Amino acid sequence: MAETLLSGLVTGSALALAALGISLIFGVADIANFAQGPLLAFGAMLGWWLTAEAHLPYLAALLVVIAATACLGAAIERVAVRPLMNAPRITVLLATVAVGIVLDRVTQLVFSPETRVLENPFPAWTFAFGGVHLDFFDAAIPAIAAATAGLIAFFLARTKLGRAIRASAQDPDAARQMGVDVAAMQSLAFALASSLAGIAGMLAGTYYGNVEPAMGTSLGMAGFAAAALGGLGRLGGAVLGGLTLGVVQNLGVTLFGGAELQVITFAAVVVAFWLRSRRTATDAGASGAAFFGRRALAPPLRPALIAVLVGALFAIPLLCGPYVLRVAGEIAIYATLGLSLTLVAGTCGTISLGQVGLFAAGAYASALFEKDLGWTFWCAAPAGAAVAAVLAAVAIAPVAKLGGQELAIATFAIGATIVALLLNLDALTNGPLGISNIPPPSFFGHAVVSARDDYLLAAAAFIACLIVVGRLQASPLGLAWRALRDDAGAAAASGVHPAAYTSLAFAIGGGIAGLAGALLTAQYLYLSPDIFDADTSVLALTIVVLGGFGNVWGALLGATVLVGVPEAFRPLHDYRILAYGLALLALVRFRPQGFLGYR
Amino acid sequence: MNANLSRARFLAALGTTALAACSGSRGGGAGAASVVRFGVSGPFSGDDANYGRVWRAAMDLAADEINRSGGLHGRPLELVYEDTQSDPRQSVVVAQQFADDPSILVELGDFSSAASIAASPVYERAGLVQFGFTNSDPKFTAGGEYMFSTATSVRADARIIAKRAARIGRRHAVVFQDTVWGKSASSAYAASAKELGVDVVSVQNYLPDTKDFHAVLGNVRAANPDVVVYYSYYTDGALLARQARDVGLTARSVTTGACYNQQFIALGGPAVDGFVLPVEFFAADPRPAVRRFARAYETRYHEVPDLFAGFAFDAVRIAAWAAVDGGFTRSGVRDAFATGTRIPSIVDGPFHFGADRRSARSSERWLVIRNGGFTLWNDA
Repeated sequence: MAETLLSGLVTGSALALAALGISLIFGVADIANFAQGPLLAFGAMLGWWLTAEAHLPYLAALLVVIAATACLGAAIERVAVRPLMNAPRITVLLATVAVGIVLDRVTQLVFSPETRVLENPFPAWTFAFGGVHLDFFDAAIPAIAAATAGLIAFFLARTKLGRAIRASAQDPDAARQMGVDVAAMQSLAFALASSLAGIAGMLAGTYYGNVEPAMGTSLGMAGFAAAALGGLGRLGGAVLGGLTLGVVQNLGVTLFGGAELQVITFAAVVVAFWLRSRRTATDAGASGAAFFGRRALAPPLRPALIAVLVGALFAIPLLCGPYVLRVAGEIAIYATLGLSLTLVAGTCGTISLGQVGLFAAGAYASALFEKDLGWTFWCAAPAGAAVAAVLAAVAIAPVAKLGGQELAIATFAIGATIVALLLNLDALTNGPLGISNIPPPSFFGHAVVSARDDYLLAAAAFIACLIVVGRLQASPLGLAWRALRDDAGAAAASGVHPAAYTSLAFAIGGGIAGLAGALLTAQYLYLSPDIFDADTSVLALTIVVLGGFGNVWGALLGATVLVGVPEAFRPLHDYRILAYGLALLALVRFRPQGFLGYR
Repeated sequence: MNANLSRARFLAALGTTALAACSGSRGGGAGAASVVRFGVSGPFSGDDANYGRVWRAAMDLAADEINRSGGLHGRPLELVYEDTQSDPRQSVVVAQQFADDPSILVELGDFSSAASIAASPVYERAGLVQFGFTNSDPKFTAGGEYMFSTATSVRADARIIAKRAARIGRRHAVVFQDTVWGKSASSAYAASAKELGVDVVSVQNYLPDTKDFHAVLGNVRAANPDVVVYYSYYTDGALLARQARDVGLTARSVTTGACYNQQFIALGGPAVDGFVLPVEFFAADPRPAVRRFARAYETRYHEVPDLFAGFAFDAVRIAAWAAVDGGFTRSGVRDAFATGTRIPSIVDGPFHFGADRRSARSSERWLVIRNGGFTLWNDA
């Protein structure tokens, strides 16, 4: 027991280091920086190259890594964040996602995707403590984490520069009037946080024993979880969150097994957010507007436009071959997933980064209804959608009142928990083995299996969802949602109960996400946990943001670009994902309101 | 007004692009008829890109050798690599792209069973052989008549390992990565151990991207096993070995061919010394075909070919043989795979596919890691 706690504290110190940079950026720039994970990996790989290939001493290499990641952070701020200073925060979040995609691929191209040894240069003294053998570095890493947090906290609280950084974050206009260069301060904050990522990447790599470009994904996620656990934006909280998470992870793995790691990690975050949201006053509307920016009303759905869309979608099979239809089928499925967020984010003014959980729940539920209960697709798909709707209302809606980026992180954690459960609820989901040989939908005796049939099914479902969402937006219910989005207090005063209406939006959105999942099942006829990852949630959000918030047509346009572009870039081979990331960054930069959004 | 105008322009541009995408045809010029093309669907970027890199190296080597010696009945061979990141979302689309392109005779890959199985219905409908040469999941070859694999089925592999491990000790622990492969392999192992009357005292799983194994290995140590069997890839396997020393685990270690890679030793250092593993492919194998391949690979890439390199090299040659034998048609290739009796292979020697469309493999070679190198393990 003492042993588990002790090694949990060492593990937790590595996570605390990863959490520090995330919390710092959130605290001083109010940005959930999704590029932090890729920065960790870059720092770690550069550290490997400097020590192993350039034969620099460890400490000299660490200094170079700090300098390099700081410059990189400043560059990210200049290219991706500063131009969006006046854009809604959600756009900035997406810009950091795009930067992360680019940076991950660059790290892989520069250092090759191989795993490398990062030698531990510290003395090999070991202390035996119970059954644990701690070496010098194990004992040093908690001290390093605490000292780093202390130094940064001192810098922010006591120095003039640190105070200027905080002032720029709290009230940019006032800071500017006091003669503070706000842009420079934000740049400095990014440099500082990024160098923390560099330190964390190199030290965590030393602790684990090896480094690889792909390590940013899991370490970044764990860092986010730790930062969220400790309360985003608080440096002490990041350290405490890291240590807590380390201990909880080690205890959980000891009791339940290593494959439960993600469930344990994200369930801990979800519980923390649930507890916190009970203490938070309802202010979803107020922060929602700040997060998304104010939007003009979406234009009503015109029957003529729908008729044109129906005509166009059904004309595609006459013009295009199976390959294009396969891509178009995927686009229709992800456009439907996007629609589930159009309602929640664009209309009601809250956000979900957990749509992958509902997408997966709908897919698995419909597959199980078909395989185990022998239902037809036409019964199983709506039933799967219903399961996702209930899950959305029960799991995600309770945190909805957190609002803003906190809500984004909370829903992200819920989605990740649901996906992690797919792997661990063996009895139901078959665990990593997945569900295969799912019968295809049968349309009056005709099996829906070809690229054309799959596309037509997905396109028809998309149109149905489009009409439902369009009608809901134009209905009195839609008016109530928009009232909530624009001013929650006023809406509540006129009888629109925020929690009930928000839950309803989440449930309907969840149902649509679940239906998209059922369509995916019909297309693949095979499900495994690998199919669903947190990136899918980010993709769904990107689709609606790029398409234009609250505009049902935006979901189609966003999905066409985001699913279609990686396919269109295939001739670029090795540079395909890099080009995709750059294109995404450019879109966010030059059209922050989305294609069909209004400034 | 302005917003509307730019929106209209944007939509027009998008429409033009979509039309161009619809009407554009892929591949196929006038001279293309004589070229033989194989599609390769694999992780050339993303988290599994290190395996994709090895695939491409070994496959390029095989294709270049074939082309230097006059091609396939005089026709040059071209490999069409498409990156899927081993993501089912992309492997299905790539499958359709290969299926639509009549010049593609056979498909190789994907790397993960999940990416392959999701794409199987598309290949099956197109009558295109999907040669998932690394897909050890029994469900893969059960997915259709066109799915073939040379990866050892997890059941046969488990029997081999359990038998040998039972001679080392009677208290076994199993540590596996919680993937399709690790999960089915560890259950198969438990079944084999039961047949042999061996005690499995601890079964521990972990997520493939785990870096910190102290808690998992603490559980193993608490069960006090004589032998620990690791179902791991070389990266996680090396970390497990290093951290096993941290927690004071001293049992003998057995792993699988997935750790047959010089990187396993480079990453694990002294901690992997004494590990034993059964392999299907061994670069220092004295058989001439293997020697030739290993030398050519080392000359060109300055590294020792690993298990996946051997399989990837073999896969291209097997597919090339089938293309010639099947008269350069898709159905001919399928027949060659299904009915060929002496298919050339550097891994297995001449072999044939069994009724389950997997190679019927009987050879068993064990390696041990000593003094920082793999050597044949001759202890009886």
